[in-house]
Amino acid sequence: MNEFDQARQTFFDESRDMLREIEDALLVLESGGGDAETLNGLFRAAHTIKGSAGLFGYEDVVAFTHEVETVLDRLRAGELAFGEELAGLMLACADHVSSLLAELESGNTGETADRDRGTGLVTRLRSLYATPEATTRAASPAVEASSDAPASGPCRWRIDVRFGADVFRNGMDPLSFIRYLGTRGELVRVVTRLFDVPPADRFDAETCHLALDILVHTTASREELEKVFDFVRDDCTLVLTRVTEGAPSVETTGTGAVPTEGGTEPVVAPEVVNVAMTRQKEQRAEEARFIRVQADKLDELISLVGELVIAGAGATLVARQIRHMGMLEATQSISDLVEEIRNSALQLRMVQIGDTFARFRRVVRDVSHDLGKEIELEIRGADTELDKSVVEKIADPLMHLVRNAMDHGIETGDERAAAGKPRAGHLRLNAYHDSGSIVIEVQDDGRGLDRARILRKAVERGIVPENTELPEDEVFGLIFMPGFSTAETVTNLSGRGVGMDVVKRNIESLRGTVHVASTPGAGTKMAIRLPLTLAIIDGFLVTVGRSSYVIPLDMVVECIELPADIPAHAQHFNLRGEVLPFLRMRDVFQVEDSVAGHESVVVVRNGTSRAGLVVDRLLGELQAVIKPLGRIFRDLQGIGGSTILGSGEVALILDVPALIARATRNSTLAGPATAGIPRSPGRLLTEIPSSLERE
Amino acid sequence: MAKTIMVVDDSASLRQMVGIALRGAGYDVIEGSDGRDALGKLDGRKVHLIVSDVNMPNMDGIAFVKAVKAHPGYKFTPVVMLTTENQEARMLEGRNAGAKAWIVKPFKPPELLDAVSRLVLP
Repeated sequence: MNEFDQARQTFFDESRDMLREIEDALLVLESGGGDAETLNGLFRAAHTIKGSAGLFGYEDVVAFTHEVETVLDRLRAGELAFGEELAGLMLACADHVSSLLAELESGNTGETADRDRGTGLVTRLRSLYATPEATTRAASPAVEASSDAPASGPCRWRIDVRFGADVFRNGMDPLSFIRYLGTRGELVRVVTRLFDVPPADRFDAETCHLALDILVHTTASREELEKVFDFVRDDCTLVLTRVTEGAPSVETTGTGAVPTEGGTEPVVAPEVVNVAMTRQKEQRAEEARFIRVQADKLDELISLVGELVIAGAGATLVARQIRHMGMLEATQSISDLVEEIRNSALQLRMVQIGDTFARFRRVVRDVSHDLGKEIELEIRGADTELDKSVVEKIADPLMHLVRNAMDHGIETGDERAAAGKPRAGHLRLNAYHDSGSIVIEVQDDGRGLDRARILRKAVERGIVPENTELPEDEVFGLIFMPGFSTAETVTNLSGRGVGMDVVKRNIESLRGTVHVASTPGAGTKMAIRLPLTLAIIDGFLVTVGRSSYVIPLDMVVECIELPADIPAHAQHFNLRGEVLPFLRMRDVFQVEDSVAGHESVVVVRNGTSRAGLVVDRLLGELQAVIKPLGRIFRDLQGIGGSTILGSGEVALILDVPALIARATRNSTLAGPATAGIPRSPGRLLTEIPSSLERE
Repeated sequence: MAKTIMVVDDSASLRQMVGIALRGAGYDVIEGSDGRDALGKLDGRKVHLIVSDVNMPNMDGIAFVKAVKAHPGYKFTPVVMLTTENQEARMLEGRNAGAKAWIVKPFKPPELLDAVSRLVLP
C-alpha cells in the first residue's frame, strides 16, 4: 500500500468514525439532550468529512456535505429549530454520505439510485434554507472568479509595495513574497527602500519600515499578481503599474492605508498558555497509550504466532523422543513464552463490543418509528472485549435478533397499556464474560414466545411429528428451524422466516450457541454464547483408534475412567448421583479395531448441559491453532475444525455443543428413537435442532 | 535544510494528505491533532510556518493562534488558517488573532502548495 492509498484508507476510516459521531449527536439532540458542544461536534464532523473529501478530489461528497453543513450552520446560528423531521432528514443525509463513501471505497461509482436519492435530499435540505443566493452558490464551493485580463503574452509590471508596521509581527517575511514572485515571472529589478525610520533610540526591530519597488516580466494577470500579496493586503499599500513599450498606462490598485491600531483582540495571558500546555502534556500522555494499527498486520502476527505454536510443539515432541533433559527444559520454557506471546497477540485484537452496540441506537430509533412503537434501548457491558473477527461476524445475527424483538416481541403502545405495562417497550443489549466465553443477550419486555403456537406451526410445517411432547426450550429452539415463521403479517423487517435459521447457522459457524428463554407476557431473552477468539484455543488432546482429536479445554470439566460395569448399549451412567449422558466416540466415528486398555470418559459441558465422551487415551493439554475445514465438510456435524499437531499430524477439533446435544437426545429419546438416527459419519444429527441447551 | 511546516487539523486523513503534498514539495512536516497537541509540539524546534484548521476539539484554531502569538519563541511564525467559505466571522476573528493568511476549504494539494510557497519556499 503506498502512501496515498494509506491516506485514502485513513480518510475512509475517519469518515466512518465521523458519521458515527454525527449519528450519535443527532440521536442525542433528537431525544432533547445535548448542548451547544453537541451541535459543534456535529458541525465539526461534517466539516472534517467535507475538508478531507475535497483534498482527495471526491467532489460529490464535497458538494453534498456542503449542503448539510449549510443547514447545520443555520441550526447553530439558531435560525432553524431542531425537530424530529430535521433529525430524520439529517440521518438520511448521513446514510447517503456513508453510501457515497462506500462506493468510492469499493471503486464502483455512479449508482443512479444513489444519485436520485442525493438529489432528493439536496432539494429537501435547500428548502430549509432557501434563498436564491444560497441555492445558486451552494453547488460550487470555493471556485475563484477567473481573471478578466486577457493573457496576451508576457509584459512588464511595476509593483510598488509599502509594507505595514505589523508585517513582521504577523510572521510575514517580505523576502518570501519576492521569492514567490520570482516563481511567477522574471524579476527584472528589485529596489528596497526604507521609510519612516525613527532615530536609533526609538527604533523597534519588530516594526517594519520596508517598501519595495519591483519590476517583473511576467505572463501573470493583474489579479494573479495582486493575489501574491493577498496575505499582507490588509497590511500594506500596493500599486501595480503595467509598463508597455510606448506610453505607460498607469493603472493603480490601492489598498487600505497602513493600519495604525494594534491587535484588536487581546493576546492570551501567559497563565492561560501555561494551563493549556499542562493539559496538553496530560493529553499527550493519554494519546501515547494508543496507536492505530492496520488489522491485517495483527492478523498476520496472530497467524505467525499460530505457526510458532505448531513449530514449538514439534520441538517439544523431538525433545521428548530423544529424552534429552536439557532440551526438554529449554523447549518447555520456550513454549511457556510462546503461550504468553499468543495471549498478548490475541489481546491486541480484542475490541470492545460497545461500538457494535452503539450502532443499534440508530436501528432502534428507525425501526420503532417505522413500526409506530415506542422502544427504549438500554446498553450494558459495552466495555466487554472480544476478538475483532468475532465482532465483525456477530453484527448481522445480532441485528436480526434486535429487529425481531422489536417487530414480533414488543407490542404496540395500546396493547402494552391494555396489558398493564408501560407504553414504551424496553430492549436491552447486554454483554459479559462467562467462563472463557462471551455472552451477548438481547432481551425485550414484550409479549414473550407463544409455546403452543410455535408447536402448532412446527407441526403444520412438518418440522416435528404431531402429538410430540417437547421440553420448553426445545420448543423455543424450533424458531431457529429453516422455513419457520409465526409472524401473522410479513413486514419488511422480519417475518419471512428466512432469518432465524441463518442467525443460528452464523452463530454456530463462530463455534457459538444461542439460547432462548421466554416468559409469556413478560418478554424474551436470546443469549448468544461465543468463544473469545477464533484463532487459537487451549485444547485437550485425546485419541480414538489411531486418530487424534482436540476438545476445547474450556469445555472440559473432568476426566474419569469408564466404569467397567456399563452395558455395551447404555446411553448414560451415574456420575456421583447425577445422570450423565455419554457418547462412545468409537461408535460416532465408526472405529472398528479393538480397544487396547481402559477407555476414559472426558466430561464436557456447554453452558449448563453436560455429557461424557468416551475416548481411548488422554494425551493432555495443547495449544491448538484452528484451521477451518473446507466447504465440503461444512455440513459435517460433531467436528468444529482441525489443527496441526507438533508431529505434523492433523487432529480434528470436536464440536462439543453438537455432541452434547446428540448424547442428550440419545439418552432422553432412548429406545426405538435412537435406532432412527443415521449412523453415517457425514451426518451425525440432522432432523432435530442440535444444540438446545437445557437448564 | 528543509523548512519545517506544522500542520494542525483534527482530521488524520487531511494531515496525511497535506503531509504527502508538502513533503513532496521538499518541506519537513510536523503534525498536531488539535491546538492543544500542536502547542505542546512547539517545544523550541524551528517551525517556519503553521497551517491550522479553525474548528478543532480541545483548543480551536483561534485560541491556538492567540497562544502562538503570545509564545516568545514562535510569535513571528506565520500562520495560515484553513477556513470555509461560510465562516467569515470566524475568519475575521482569526485575522484579529494574528493569522493573516488563509486557505479556503475544501482545497486541492496544488492550491495549498501555492499558498504555502507565498510565505515559505522549501
